[in-house]
Amino acid sequence: MSASEIFQPFFVGIFGLAAIWFGVVVFRTSSMVRSALALLFSMTAIGAMFLAMEAEFLGVLQIMMMATEMAIMAIFMVMYMMDPGGMEGMDMTHQKYASIFAGILATLGILAVVFLVEWGPVAEAAHPEEQTRMLGIEIMERSMLIFETAGVTILTAMIAATAIAIERRKS
Amino acid sequence: MTTLMAALVVGAILFGIGLYGALSQTNLVMIMMGVELMLGAAMVNLVAFWRFLHPEIYAGQMFVLIVMTVMALEMAVGFAIATGRFRAKGSVEMEEAGDLRG
Repeated sequence: MSASEIFQPFFVGIFGLAAIWFGVVVFRTSSMVRSALALLFSMTAIGAMFLAMEAEFLGVLQIMMMATEMAIMAIFMVMYMMDPGGMEGMDMTHQKYASIFAGILATLGILAVVFLVEWGPVAEAAHPEEQTRMLGIEIMERSMLIFETAGVTILTAMIAATAIAIERRKS
Repeated sequence: MTTLMAALVVGAILFGIGLYGALSQTNLVMIMMGVELMLGAAMVNLVAFWRFLHPEIYAGQMFVLIVMTVMALEMAVGFAIATGRFRAKGSVEMEEAGDLRG
């Protein structure tokens, strides 16, 4: 058994547990800033899982994107929350038991699929440098239209977001 | 348990937590956090499927890039709606947003 076969499940498991733990903290803490930071750590742990699964480009991209995204989220939290520090201990949930039931049901449903399906043999991945090169070729050749569509969609969302958020002029 | 299984189990649990958050929270920004967690779970599954089942097909990584784009768009449009709502009503509590029903 090679070193990667031993360490890969270990690190995927450790970072997975961290992602789950911080995911739970997001909805358990009454401080909204802490929630945003917990989500940042959860997303970073997911990025670390990508690195452990040898998808280095996606791992680094995930960590970089989420660091900025969650920092912006924390600012919006402070702006729009009635109690961003969680000092008053407000309960900001509704239909709690139905939500817990739905969450558990969804998890069990997916776990049933995970354990009942025969996934077949595990394949070997290419070296990370080769992966990044092949992804670049994929983006610039076969999946170029999809990539371009994503770009145009981002532009549309930017214009739409600005149009929604801009202050109405008084006529 | 193989690494693929471990990753899929993590994805399943993260999706459940995200679904709980999206359904139970009353604040728009917190609901968006729940949706982000669900999309994160989808990404974990996509990377695991690509890496352990078909690492030679790089369209699998393209799926992850698209989900990342969706996450960024969801944040941008979601915060724009939050800004609009905050301007109009002074709050982003969805309990008070019954008037959006039309």
